[in-house]
Amino acid sequence: MRFVFRRLGFFLLTLWVAVTLNFLIPRLMPGNAAVSMMARYKGRVSPDALHALEIAFGVNHHQSLVSAYFTYLWNIARLHLGISLTFFPDAVTHEVGQALPWTLGLIGVTTILAFVLGTFIGLLAAWRRGGLLDGVFPPIFIITSAFPYFWFALLAIWLFAIKLGWLPQSGGYDYTTDVGWSWGFAEDVVRHSILPAFTILVTSIGIWILTMRNNTISVLAEDYVRMARAKGLSPWRIMWTYAGRNAILPSLTGFAMSLGFVVGGAILVEYVFNYPGVGWMFLQSVENQDYALMQGLFLMITVAVLLAILAADGATAVLDPRTRDRR
Amino acid sequence: MRRLVAVALLVALGASAWAAGLGSASEKRAAATTTVTISNEQGTTWTCGFNPFNGGTVPLSFGTVYEPLTFSDPLKSGATTNWLASAYAWSNHNRTLTFTIRSGVKWTDGKPFSAKDVLFTFNMIKANPALDLNGVWSVLKSVSANGNKVTFAFKTSAVPYFYNIADKTPIVAQHVWSSVGNPVTYKDSSPIGTGAFTMSSCSPQVIKYQKNPAYWQKGLPKIDTVYYPAYTSNDPANQDLASGKAQWGSQFIPNINAFYLSKSKDNHYWFPPVANVSIFVNLKDPILSNVAVRRAMAYAIDKRRVSQIGEYGYEPPANQTGIVTPTFASWLNPKLAKQVTYNPAKAIAILKAAGFKMKGGVFQTPQGKSLSFTMINIGGYSDWVASAQLVAQQLKAVGIKITAENLSQTTYNNDTYTGKYQLSYNGNEPPGPAPYYELREILYSKNSAPIGTIAPSNWERYSNPAVDTLIDAYGATTSASVQHGIIDKLAAAMVRDVPVIPVTEGVDWYQYNTKSLAGWVTQQNPYARPAAYENPDWGVVLLHLKPKG
Repeated sequence: MRFVFRRLGFFLLTLWVAVTLNFLIPRLMPGNAAVSMMARYKGRVSPDALHALEIAFGVNHHQSLVSAYFTYLWNIARLHLGISLTFFPDAVTHEVGQALPWTLGLIGVTTILAFVLGTFIGLLAAWRRGGLLDGVFPPIFIITSAFPYFWFALLAIWLFAIKLGWLPQSGGYDYTTDVGWSWGFAEDVVRHSILPAFTILVTSIGIWILTMRNNTISVLAEDYVRMARAKGLSPWRIMWTYAGRNAILPSLTGFAMSLGFVVGGAILVEYVFNYPGVGWMFLQSVENQDYALMQGLFLMITVAVLLAILAADGATAVLDPRTRDRR
Repeated sequence: MRRLVAVALLVALGASAWAAGLGSASEKRAAATTTVTISNEQGTTWTCGFNPFNGGTVPLSFGTVYEPLTFSDPLKSGATTNWLASAYAWSNHNRTLTFTIRSGVKWTDGKPFSAKDVLFTFNMIKANPALDLNGVWSVLKSVSANGNKVTFAFKTSAVPYFYNIADKTPIVAQHVWSSVGNPVTYKDSSPIGTGAFTMSSCSPQVIKYQKNPAYWQKGLPKIDTVYYPAYTSNDPANQDLASGKAQWGSQFIPNINAFYLSKSKDNHYWFPPVANVSIFVNLKDPILSNVAVRRAMAYAIDKRRVSQIGEYGYEPPANQTGIVTPTFASWLNPKLAKQVTYNPAKAIAILKAAGFKMKGGVFQTPQGKSLSFTMINIGGYSDWVASAQLVAQQLKAVGIKITAENLSQTTYNNDTYTGKYQLSYNGNEPPGPAPYYELREILYSKNSAPIGTIAPSNWERYSNPAVDTLIDAYGATTSASVQHGIIDKLAAAMVRDVPVIPVTEGVDWYQYNTKSLAGWVTQQNPYARPAAYENPDWGVVLLHLKPKG
């Protein structure tokens, strides 16, 4: 019980610090939202628009920092994240809500897939050290993990989308498809996600394989594994409940962190594939000095990462009794 | 090992067959109707708002759904076509403008359009300054309607604002907008306009427009559907153009001959020049305020080379008068244009005559300060970065040292607008239907501001009462010969005072495919600005398009 309370208390404290930094940091940036917006129009609106924008965005409405801070806290408590200037006059919650499913669908699924596959391959490779699996997969995927992502993604687009024409090269779905809950649309979405998912998987799986393989190897040398073998337990059971359970612990925290960061999107993936996710929205919010959107996204990431760490702490405690509180 | 390879091969084959199968299934949706797909990297996903008074969404509704009173063609020096107005006239020493409103026009919800809608639109803008994207109420005194006539009374003579009022202001329906709570934050998700198209569906990734069957111009439009996908980056947008998936492009394509033209004989492009890309010189800088330094710089830059190497030849070299050619060639005094040409020897002579001394390859002021400046630039514009690099090399050759600073767009804009720079490589002045508009943006002292305060467009902070008088005088006349005389004098001021140094001419990015569509804007028939982001021009282009054959 004490363990749970301590963890929760720590969670709340971190959340407060993060929320406060989230408020302060964007305000340290130089500039003005109306001017940033003019930059985005690239001289395609009249200079008179600057004045109109300043009025619409309330740029010259100065509020004291302290009172702005309390308004901000109160708004967060009510989940009022404000109006995005990039997507004026849409609410931040609405815009993020539209982009988030794409990010969760693509980045979330591939992150989990990379972890599960990578861990499994790493475990098997270590179990049959020097075997065929160990000789092929770890080296290949360690090399692919070192690829610069955008380079590999562009190469994949060139090969599979342009040269061979098997898969669409960009977007979340084909624009001539009618959006809705239909098989045609679902098929189209899946088709559009294959290439980005494949590139993410190939470039991110190596780290999980390597971590899991190395951990398993050191765990396999432990006395309790030798003990289990001596007792004549089935190799399958030793691999999973003795070696695997212990070897996965260090990977787990890393996995929790990367799960938390899923909601931040993946800017490079979204940029290269013109994929409608959150990462690109993040970049836009910074470029346009869109405080409301920036804060909304930061808040979401902070909460997600903290929750993921909390969950990982819990999972570690379940898997490894040593980490629980001593009385 | 062999078995593993075999398994891997099988998996790969299976996956590819599956993917190929999916591919053929989705290609069966053949188009029986005439469609146009626009490929224009706007760097944003769609909000599905269509408020025509919101700078972000006006290019998505104004021209197709909403329409102006008249259309002025910027590529023909503002040649005017009546649109929702059937006639207009100036009176009272060019201080009163009267429009006759067209009859028989209907909103897409079936209600008739009238002069009351025009009156309502302008009064709504007056009541909400945040809607006034074109500054019309900076010159207007009042608007009134009588029968089918709408009369605009001006505070001062401001003839060039005809363009802002008649071409740049979308007319909205009183019966829709009068019940809108706050028109500034109104999203307008299902816009009701008078235009040739209606917005039929929208998602963050694509907008679909359908033909308005009851459009007031009989027999138009000839195309049924327009798709406007959202591209957040350039490459996918260019790729769709090259593959023919999109027919109308509006962006920069590096090496366009190999990447686009060679892909199909139906692919074409035309980049009409509309404004200048210039070096803005901060006139409040103690050394740069000396006109000799600026003149020397103007002579030292080989604009032809910058155009060819930095801009792939897409943007032609500019001239010191600031009058864009060939678009506004009829306004240009060729003698003035030839006064400043590439001549490094002359640049050095000017600096020497002004008392500067060369020391270690760099000129110094009589007080011993080096002619060494930083030039800010947008790091994300690869062509500008290359051009600025060339400019720096050329200036170095005459003893002026330039350090290029490639900034983020936000920092760059902020520094430029507030005057916290020495030199700014810049092509962000909005073009107009005559050279006057850009010259006013650059030269008019009312567009300037003290250092540290945001200046709308006179970023170099030029101020000359004689020039201000000329600009005001232009606003009071509708006589073409008087206007040409004034432009000549403004161009002379550009050459004499060198407040900015035009380097290349910014263009409208425009690529088009003639496989199944005809009626595109061409150099021979420039009936509107051809970039899809230009409004209301893009609506005019869509009205001219028709199925081929």
